[in-house]
Amino acid sequence: MKVISRLCRQQQFRQSLAEYRINLYRIAYSWCHNPALADDLVQDTLAKALKNSGQLRDSKTLKAWLYRILCNCWRDHFRRSRDTVDVDDVVLTERDTPDRCHDRQQIVERVRNAISQLPMGQRQVITLVDLEGCSYIEVAEILEIPIGTVMSRLSRARKALKERLLAAEVESDPKVYRLRNAR
Amino acid sequence: MSRPDISEERLNAFVDDELDAAEKEAVFEAMSQDPSLLQQTCELRQLSELVRHAYDQPPQAERYRPGPRPATPWGRAAAAVVLLALGTLLGWFGHQKPLELPEDSANLQAMVWGDEDRAFENADLATVADRNELKRVILHLNTSSPDKFGQALDTAEQLLKTYADDNHGAEIEVVANASAIKMLRAGSSPYADRVRRLQEQYFNLTFLACKDAMDHIRELEGLKTDVKLLPGVDVTPSALEHILNRLNDGWVYINI
Repeated sequence: MKVISRLCRQQQFRQSLAEYRINLYRIAYSWCHNPALADDLVQDTLAKALKNSGQLRDSKTLKAWLYRILCNCWRDHFRRSRDTVDVDDVVLTERDTPDRCHDRQQIVERVRNAISQLPMGQRQVITLVDLEGCSYIEVAEILEIPIGTVMSRLSRARKALKERLLAAEVESDPKVYRLRNAR
Repeated sequence: MSRPDISEERLNAFVDDELDAAEKEAVFEAMSQDPSLLQQTCELRQLSELVRHAYDQPPQAERYRPGPRPATPWGRAAAAVVLLALGTLLGWFGHQKPLELPEDSANLQAMVWGDEDRAFENADLATVADRNELKRVILHLNTSSPDKFGQALDTAEQLLKTYADDNHGAEIEVVANASAIKMLRAGSSPYADRVRRLQEQYFNLTFLACKDAMDHIRELEGLKTDVKLLPGVDVTPSALEHILNRLNDGWVYINI
Protein backbone atom coordinates (compact mmCIF):
# COMPACT_ATOMS: atom_id res chain seq x y z
CA MET A 1 0.00 0.00 0.00
CA LYS A 2 2.78 2.34 0.98
CA VAL A 3 4.61 1.67 -2.24
CA ILE A 4 1.52 2.47 -4.25
CA SER A 5 0.88 5.73 -2.43
CA ARG A 6 4.50 6.74 -2.90
CA LEU A 7 4.28 5.92 -6.58
CA CYS A 8 1.13 8.00 -6.85
CA ARG A 9 2.82 10.90 -5.12
CA GLN A 10 5.79 10.65 -7.43
CA GLN A 11 3.48 10.59 -10.42
CA GLN A 12 1.64 13.64 -9.15
CA PHE A 13 4.91 15.45 -8.54
CA ARG A 14 6.08 14.79 -12.09
CA GLN A 15 2.78 16.03 -13.42
CA SER A 16 2.91 19.28 -11.47
CA LEU A 17 6.51 19.80 -12.61
CA ALA A 18 5.35 19.44 -16.19
CA GLU A 19 2.63 21.99 -15.58
CA TYR A 20 5.18 24.51 -14.38
CA ARG A 21 7.38 24.06 -17.42
CA ILE A 22 5.78 26.85 -19.47
CA ASN A 23 5.87 29.29 -16.55
CA LEU A 24 9.50 28.49 -15.77
CA TYR A 25 10.40 28.96 -19.40
CA ARG A 26 8.63 32.31 -19.54
CA ILE A 27 10.51 33.60 -16.50
CA ALA A 28 13.84 32.20 -17.69
CA TYR A 29 13.31 33.84 -21.07
CA SER A 30 12.46 37.16 -19.47
CA TRP A 31 15.74 36.99 -17.55
CA CYS A 32 18.09 36.05 -20.37
CA HIS A 33 16.15 36.88 -23.59
CA ASN A 34 17.70 33.89 -25.29
CA PRO A 35 15.39 30.96 -26.14
CA ALA A 36 18.12 28.30 -26.19
CA LEU A 37 19.62 29.38 -22.89
CA ALA A 38 16.17 29.67 -21.31
CA ASP A 39 15.42 26.13 -22.41
CA ASP A 40 18.68 24.88 -20.92
CA LEU A 41 17.90 26.62 -17.64
CA VAL A 42 14.46 25.03 -17.48
CA GLN A 43 15.94 21.59 -18.24
CA ASP A 44 18.50 22.05 -15.45
CA THR A 45 15.82 23.25 -13.07
CA LEU A 46 13.52 20.32 -13.74
CA ALA A 47 16.36 17.83 -13.51
CA LYS A 48 17.44 19.24 -10.14
CA ALA A 49 13.85 19.32 -8.93
CA LEU A 50 13.37 15.64 -9.80
CA LYS A 51 16.64 14.70 -8.18
CA ASN A 52 15.95 16.61 -4.98
CA SER A 53 12.21 16.02 -4.78
CA GLY A 54 12.72 14.70 -1.25
CA GLN A 55 13.63 18.21 -0.06
CA LEU A 56 10.19 19.53 -0.81
CA ARG A 57 8.21 18.98 2.37
CA ASP A 58 5.02 20.85 1.54
CA SER A 59 3.61 20.68 -1.97
CA LYS A 60 2.08 24.14 -1.50
CA THR A 61 5.55 25.68 -1.63
CA LEU A 62 6.36 23.93 -4.90
CA LYS A 63 6.16 27.16 -6.90
CA ALA A 64 8.60 29.14 -4.74
CA TRP A 65 10.88 26.10 -4.47
CA LEU A 66 11.03 25.68 -8.26
CA TYR A 67 11.78 29.34 -8.86
CA ARG A 68 14.50 29.24 -6.25
CA ILE A 69 16.11 26.34 -8.13
CA LEU A 70 15.77 28.26 -11.38
CA CYS A 71 17.34 31.29 -9.75
CA ASN A 72 20.27 29.15 -8.56
CA CYS A 73 20.71 27.64 -12.01
CA TRP A 74 20.79 31.11 -13.50
CA ARG A 75 23.35 32.23 -10.94
CA ASP A 76 25.46 29.12 -11.65
CA HIS A 77 25.30 29.87 -15.32
CA PHE A 78 26.69 33.33 -14.66
CA ARG A 79 29.40 32.00 -12.41
CA ARG A 80 30.40 29.39 -14.99
CA SER A 81 30.39 31.75 -17.90
CA ARG A 82 32.30 34.48 -16.09
CA ASP A 83 35.55 32.46 -16.20
CA THR A 84 35.25 31.56 -19.81
CA VAL A 85 33.46 34.56 -21.17
CA ASP A 86 34.60 35.86 -24.50
CA VAL A 87 33.30 38.69 -26.60
CA ASP A 88 31.61 36.46 -29.14
CA ASP A 89 29.64 34.68 -26.47
CA VAL A 90 28.36 37.93 -25.08
CA VAL A 91 27.14 38.97 -28.47
CA LEU A 92 25.52 35.58 -28.93
CA THR A 93 23.74 35.76 -25.62
CA GLU A 94 22.50 39.22 -26.42
CA ARG A 95 21.54 38.33 -29.96
CA ASP A 96 17.89 38.20 -29.16
CA THR A 97 17.99 41.36 -27.07
CA PRO A 98 15.86 43.51 -29.25
CA ASP A 99 18.08 46.57 -29.36
CA ARG A 100 18.04 46.53 -33.07
CA CYS A 101 14.27 46.17 -33.11
CA HIS A 102 13.87 49.25 -31.01
CA ASP A 103 13.06 51.49 -33.91
CA ARG A 104 10.29 49.16 -34.96
CA GLN A 105 8.57 50.30 -31.79
CA GLN A 106 6.30 47.34 -31.51
CA ILE A 107 4.76 46.95 -28.12
CA VAL A 108 6.14 43.53 -27.28
CA GLU A 109 9.62 44.30 -28.55
CA ARG A 110 9.72 47.61 -26.75
CA VAL A 111 8.71 46.13 -23.43
CA ARG A 112 11.16 43.20 -23.73
CA ASN A 113 13.87 45.62 -24.70
CA ALA A 114 13.15 47.83 -21.70
CA ILE A 115 13.15 44.80 -19.38
CA SER A 116 16.42 43.53 -20.80
CA GLN A 117 18.04 46.84 -19.91
CA LEU A 118 17.11 46.62 -16.24
CA PRO A 119 19.74 45.46 -13.74
CA MET A 120 19.36 41.72 -13.11
CA GLY A 121 18.10 42.12 -9.54
CA GLN A 122 15.28 44.41 -10.64
CA ARG A 123 14.53 42.25 -13.67
CA GLN A 124 14.05 39.16 -11.51
CA VAL A 125 11.78 40.92 -9.05
CA ILE A 126 9.50 42.55 -11.61
CA THR A 127 9.13 39.40 -13.72
CA LEU A 128 8.32 37.21 -10.71
CA VAL A 129 5.72 39.71 -9.50
CA ASP A 130 4.12 40.59 -12.83
CA LEU A 131 4.46 37.38 -14.82
CA GLU A 132 3.99 34.80 -12.09
CA GLY A 133 1.91 36.82 -9.66
CA CYS A 134 4.28 35.96 -6.81
CA SER A 135 3.65 37.79 -3.56
CA TYR A 136 6.44 39.96 -2.18
CA ILE A 137 7.16 37.37 0.51
CA GLU A 138 7.48 34.60 -2.07
CA VAL A 139 9.87 36.74 -4.13
CA ALA A 140 11.94 37.45 -1.02
CA GLU A 141 12.18 33.71 -0.36
CA ILE A 142 12.98 32.81 -3.95
CA LEU A 143 15.75 35.36 -4.35
CA GLU A 144 16.83 35.11 -0.71
CA ILE A 145 16.72 38.86 -0.15
CA PRO A 146 14.87 40.95 2.47
CA ILE A 147 11.32 42.02 1.60
CA GLY A 148 12.31 45.70 1.79
CA THR A 149 14.78 45.06 -1.01
CA VAL A 150 12.02 43.41 -3.05
CA MET A 151 9.89 46.53 -2.68
CA SER A 152 12.62 49.01 -3.52
CA ARG A 153 13.83 46.99 -6.50
CA LEU A 154 10.30 46.67 -7.83
CA SER A 155 9.67 50.36 -7.39
CA ARG A 156 12.90 51.27 -9.19
CA ALA A 157 12.22 48.77 -11.97
CA ARG A 158 8.74 50.15 -12.64
CA LYS A 159 10.06 53.69 -12.53
CA ALA A 160 12.66 52.87 -15.16
CA LEU A 161 10.09 51.09 -17.32
CA LYS A 162 7.75 54.04 -17.03
CA GLU A 163 10.42 56.39 -18.28
CA ARG A 164 11.26 54.11 -21.19
CA LEU A 165 7.79 53.00 -22.19
CA LEU A 166 5.14 55.48 -21.18
CA ALA A 167 7.11 58.68 -21.85
CA ALA A 168 8.10 57.50 -25.32
CA GLU A 169 4.51 56.96 -26.33
CA VAL A 170 3.95 60.58 -27.29
CA GLU A 171 6.60 60.70 -29.97
CA SER A 172 6.13 57.19 -31.25
CA ASP A 173 5.35 56.17 -34.77
CA PRO A 174 1.73 57.10 -35.55
CA LYS A 175 1.33 54.01 -37.74
CA VAL A 176 1.61 51.74 -34.73
CA TYR A 177 -1.80 51.11 -33.29
CA ARG A 178 -2.02 51.46 -29.59
CA LEU A 179 -4.85 50.52 -27.30
CA ARG A 180 -6.32 53.33 -25.32
CA ASN A 181 -5.94 53.37 -21.63
CA ALA A 182 -8.60 51.36 -19.88
CA ARG A 183 -9.97 54.32 -18.03
CA MET B 1 4.58 64.08 -7.16
CA SER B 2 3.33 61.72 -4.53
CA ARG B 3 2.55 62.97 -1.09
CA PRO B 4 5.31 62.32 1.40
CA ASP B 5 3.28 59.78 3.36
CA ILE B 6 2.58 57.55 0.34
CA SER B 7 5.94 56.37 -0.97
CA GLU B 8 6.37 54.84 -4.39
CA GLU B 9 7.06 51.49 -2.75
CA ARG B 10 3.74 51.68 -0.99
CA LEU B 11 1.90 52.64 -4.17
CA ASN B 12 3.49 49.65 -5.89
CA ALA B 13 2.41 47.42 -3.03
CA PHE B 14 -1.10 48.86 -3.40
CA VAL B 15 -1.16 47.97 -7.09
CA ASP B 16 0.10 44.44 -6.35
CA ASP B 17 -2.53 43.98 -3.65
CA GLU B 18 0.07 43.58 -0.90
CA LEU B 19 -1.43 46.03 1.60
CA ASP B 20 -3.78 45.19 4.46
CA ALA B 21 -7.16 46.89 4.77
CA ALA B 22 -5.98 49.80 6.91
CA GLU B 23 -3.05 50.61 4.66
CA LYS B 24 -5.29 50.42 1.60
CA GLU B 25 -7.69 52.81 3.26
CA ALA B 26 -4.86 55.29 3.77
CA VAL B 27 -3.92 55.08 0.10
CA PHE B 28 -7.54 55.58 -0.99
CA GLU B 29 -7.79 58.54 1.37
CA ALA B 30 -4.63 60.12 -0.06
CA MET B 31 -5.88 59.44 -3.58
CA SER B 32 -9.08 61.34 -3.00
CA GLN B 33 -7.02 64.38 -2.05
CA ASP B 34 -4.37 64.03 -4.71
CA PRO B 35 -5.56 62.97 -8.19
CA SER B 36 -1.96 62.58 -9.37
CA LEU B 37 -1.73 59.49 -7.14
CA LEU B 38 -4.62 58.00 -9.07
CA GLN B 39 -2.79 58.74 -12.29
CA GLN B 40 0.37 57.07 -10.94
CA THR B 41 -1.61 54.01 -9.89
CA CYS B 42 -3.07 53.75 -13.38
CA GLU B 43 0.39 53.96 -14.90
CA LEU B 44 1.76 51.26 -12.60
CA ARG B 45 -1.16 48.98 -13.52
CA GLN B 46 -0.60 49.67 -17.17
CA LEU B 47 3.11 48.82 -16.87
CA SER B 48 2.33 45.59 -15.14
CA GLU B 49 -0.09 44.66 -17.90
CA LEU B 50 2.46 45.57 -20.54
CA VAL B 51 5.04 43.29 -18.92
CA ARG B 52 2.58 40.41 -18.80
CA HIS B 53 1.64 41.01 -22.39
CA ALA B 54 5.27 41.13 -23.56
CA TYR B 55 6.02 37.63 -22.27
CA ASP B 56 2.71 35.99 -22.98
CA GLN B 57 4.19 34.08 -25.87
CA PRO B 58 7.96 33.84 -25.45
CA PRO B 59 9.76 32.52 -28.54
CA GLN B 60 10.48 28.80 -28.22
CA ALA B 61 13.93 27.27 -28.56
CA GLU B 62 14.19 25.52 -31.94
CA ARG B 63 16.11 22.43 -31.04
CA TYR B 64 13.70 21.03 -28.49
CA ARG B 65 10.62 21.12 -30.65
CA PRO B 66 9.41 17.56 -31.07
CA GLY B 67 10.10 16.25 -34.55
CA PRO B 68 7.57 14.32 -36.63
CA ARG B 69 7.05 10.82 -35.29
CA PRO B 70 6.78 7.83 -37.61
CA ALA B 71 3.10 7.19 -38.21
CA THR B 72 1.58 3.99 -36.88
CA PRO B 73 -1.15 2.21 -38.88
CA TRP B 74 -3.73 3.46 -36.37
CA GLY B 75 -2.32 6.97 -36.64
CA ARG B 76 -2.72 6.79 -40.40
CA ALA B 77 -6.28 5.58 -40.08
CA ALA B 78 -7.03 8.43 -37.67
CA ALA B 79 -5.44 10.95 -40.04
CA ALA B 80 -7.52 9.62 -42.92
CA VAL B 81 -10.71 9.97 -40.88
CA VAL B 82 -9.76 13.52 -39.87
CA LEU B 83 -9.03 14.48 -43.48
CA LEU B 84 -12.31 13.01 -44.65
CA ALA B 85 -14.21 14.88 -41.96
CA LEU B 86 -12.35 18.09 -42.84
CA GLY B 87 -13.22 17.70 -46.51
CA THR B 88 -16.87 17.13 -45.68
CA LEU B 89 -16.95 20.15 -43.42
CA LEU B 90 -15.23 22.37 -45.99
CA GLY B 91 -17.69 21.32 -48.63
CA TRP B 92 -20.59 21.84 -46.30
CA PHE B 93 -19.60 25.27 -45.16
CA GLY B 94 -17.89 26.30 -48.39
CA HIS B 95 -21.09 27.69 -49.81
CA GLN B 96 -21.69 30.13 -46.97
CA LYS B 97 -22.87 33.51 -48.07
CA PRO B 98 -20.42 36.41 -48.15
CA LEU B 99 -20.42 38.82 -45.25
CA GLU B 100 -22.46 41.96 -45.74
CA LEU B 101 -21.30 44.75 -43.50
CA PRO B 102 -23.37 47.78 -42.63
CA GLU B 103 -22.61 50.76 -44.85
CA ASP B 104 -21.25 52.95 -42.10
CA SER B 105 -18.74 50.31 -41.08
CA ALA B 106 -16.57 51.05 -44.10
CA ASN B 107 -14.36 53.38 -42.12
CA LEU B 108 -13.94 51.04 -39.16
CA GLN B 109 -10.44 49.85 -38.45
CA ALA B 110 -10.04 46.26 -37.39
CA MET B 111 -6.96 44.93 -35.69
CA VAL B 112 -5.60 41.40 -35.50
CA TRP B 113 -2.65 39.77 -33.87
CA GLY B 114 -0.25 38.92 -36.71
CA ASP B 115 1.19 35.41 -36.68
CA GLU B 116 4.36 36.34 -38.50
CA ASP B 117 5.90 39.01 -36.35
CA ARG B 118 3.84 38.59 -33.18
CA ALA B 119 2.58 42.13 -33.25
CA PHE B 120 -0.68 43.90 -33.84
CA GLU B 121 -1.59 44.48 -37.40
CA ASN B 122 -3.95 47.07 -38.65
CA ALA B 123 -6.31 46.00 -41.34
CA ASP B 124 -9.49 47.46 -42.62
CA LEU B 125 -12.59 45.53 -41.89
CA ALA B 126 -13.20 44.46 -45.47
CA THR B 127 -9.75 42.86 -45.74
CA VAL B 128 -10.20 40.88 -42.55
CA ALA B 129 -13.67 39.87 -43.68
CA ASP B 130 -12.20 38.61 -46.96
CA ARG B 131 -9.75 36.49 -45.04
CA ASN B 132 -12.87 35.02 -43.53
CA GLU B 133 -11.62 35.40 -40.00
CA LEU B 134 -14.40 37.62 -38.80
CA LYS B 135 -15.99 35.07 -36.54
CA ARG B 136 -14.72 36.02 -33.14
CA VAL B 137 -14.89 39.76 -32.84
CA ILE B 138 -14.47 42.09 -29.90
CA LEU B 139 -16.04 45.52 -30.29
CA HIS B 140 -14.57 48.13 -27.98
CA LEU B 141 -16.36 51.33 -26.94
CA ASN B 142 -14.91 54.06 -24.79
CA THR B 143 -17.06 57.09 -25.43
CA SER B 144 -20.56 57.80 -24.23
CA SER B 145 -21.80 58.75 -27.69
CA PRO B 146 -25.17 57.04 -28.30
CA ASP B 147 -24.53 57.13 -32.07
CA LYS B 148 -21.36 55.12 -31.66
CA PHE B 149 -23.05 52.61 -29.44
CA GLY B 150 -25.80 52.29 -32.03
CA GLN B 151 -23.13 51.71 -34.66
CA ALA B 152 -21.55 49.02 -32.51
CA LEU B 153 -24.91 47.27 -32.12
CA ASP B 154 -25.53 47.51 -35.88
CA THR B 155 -22.15 45.98 -36.62
CA ALA B 156 -22.61 43.23 -34.05
CA GLU B 157 -26.09 42.40 -35.32
CA GLN B 158 -24.92 42.31 -38.93
CA LEU B 159 -22.04 39.97 -38.06
CA LEU B 160 -24.33 37.72 -36.06
CA LYS B 161 -26.98 37.64 -38.81
CA THR B 162 -24.34 36.55 -41.29
CA TYR B 163 -23.18 33.67 -39.18
CA ALA B 164 -26.32 32.83 -37.29
CA ASP B 165 -28.05 30.33 -39.61
CA ASP B 166 -25.03 28.11 -40.05
CA ASN B 167 -23.55 27.84 -36.60
CA HIS B 168 -19.87 28.53 -37.15
CA GLY B 169 -18.94 29.12 -33.57
CA ALA B 170 -19.04 32.85 -34.18
CA GLU B 171 -18.72 34.90 -31.02
CA ILE B 172 -19.14 38.62 -30.56
CA GLU B 173 -18.29 40.64 -27.48
CA VAL B 174 -19.12 44.27 -26.90
CA VAL B 175 -16.78 45.71 -24.28
CA ALA B 176 -17.40 49.12 -22.75
CA ASN B 177 -15.04 51.09 -20.57
CA ALA B 178 -14.47 54.75 -19.60
CA SER B 179 -17.61 56.80 -20.27
CA ALA B 180 -19.11 54.11 -22.53
CA ILE B 181 -20.27 52.39 -19.32
CA LYS B 182 -23.16 54.84 -19.47
CA MET B 183 -24.53 52.95 -22.46
CA LEU B 184 -24.77 49.73 -20.44
CA ARG B 185 -26.04 51.35 -17.26
CA ALA B 186 -29.52 50.65 -16.03
CA GLY B 187 -31.64 53.78 -16.14
CA SER B 188 -29.33 55.83 -18.35
CA SER B 189 -28.90 53.69 -21.46
CA PRO B 190 -31.13 54.66 -24.38
CA TYR B 191 -30.50 51.19 -25.82
CA ALA B 192 -31.78 49.08 -22.92
CA ASP B 193 -34.54 47.44 -24.98
CA ARG B 194 -32.34 46.77 -27.97
CA VAL B 195 -29.60 45.25 -25.84
CA ARG B 196 -32.15 42.94 -24.20
CA ARG B 197 -33.66 41.95 -27.56
CA LEU B 198 -30.22 41.18 -29.03
CA GLN B 199 -29.27 39.13 -25.96
CA GLU B 200 -32.47 37.09 -26.28
CA GLN B 201 -31.94 36.56 -29.98
CA TYR B 202 -28.23 35.65 -30.00
CA PHE B 203 -26.74 33.48 -27.30
CA ASN B 204 -23.24 34.09 -28.69
CA LEU B 205 -23.35 37.83 -28.08
CA THR B 206 -21.86 39.06 -24.80
CA PHE B 207 -21.89 42.52 -23.29
CA LEU B 208 -19.08 43.36 -20.89
CA ALA B 209 -18.43 46.35 -18.67
CA CYS B 210 -15.01 47.30 -17.25
CA LYS B 211 -14.85 47.03 -13.46
CA ASP B 212 -12.11 49.66 -13.27
CA ALA B 213 -14.29 52.18 -15.07
CA MET B 214 -17.31 51.25 -12.94
CA ASP B 215 -15.29 51.82 -9.78
CA HIS B 216 -14.17 55.14 -11.19
CA ILE B 217 -17.78 56.25 -11.76
CA ARG B 218 -18.70 55.04 -8.30
CA GLU B 219 -15.92 57.14 -6.78
CA LEU B 220 -16.89 60.17 -8.86
CA GLU B 221 -20.56 59.98 -7.90
CA GLY B 222 -19.85 58.90 -4.34
CA LEU B 223 -22.12 55.86 -4.63
CA LYS B 224 -22.33 53.33 -1.84
CA THR B 225 -22.95 50.33 -4.09
CA ASP B 226 -21.68 49.24 -7.48
CA VAL B 227 -22.97 50.94 -10.59
CA LYS B 228 -26.13 49.13 -11.69
CA LEU B 229 -25.90 47.60 -15.16
CA LEU B 230 -28.53 46.43 -17.61
CA PRO B 231 -29.63 42.85 -16.91
CA GLY B 232 -27.36 40.19 -18.45
CA VAL B 233 -24.34 42.48 -18.80
CA ASP B 234 -21.17 40.82 -17.52
CA VAL B 235 -18.29 42.52 -15.74
CA THR B 236 -14.60 42.13 -16.58
CA PRO B 237 -11.92 43.27 -14.09
CA SER B 238 -10.05 45.28 -16.71
CA ALA B 239 -11.23 45.96 -20.25
CA LEU B 240 -7.70 46.50 -21.52
CA GLU B 241 -6.47 43.19 -20.19
CA HIS B 242 -9.52 41.41 -21.52
CA ILE B 243 -8.96 42.86 -25.00
CA LEU B 244 -5.29 41.90 -25.01
CA ASN B 245 -6.18 38.35 -24.02
CA ARG B 246 -8.77 38.11 -26.76
CA LEU B 247 -6.30 39.44 -29.34
CA ASN B 248 -3.87 36.79 -28.24
CA ASP B 249 -6.52 34.15 -28.77
CA GLY B 250 -6.89 35.35 -32.34
CA TRP B 251 -9.95 37.56 -31.99
CA VAL B 252 -10.47 40.55 -34.28
CA TYR B 253 -10.54 43.85 -32.45
CA ILE B 254 -12.61 46.78 -33.60
CA ASN B 255 -12.63 50.12 -31.86
CA ILE B 256 -15.86 51.94 -32.54
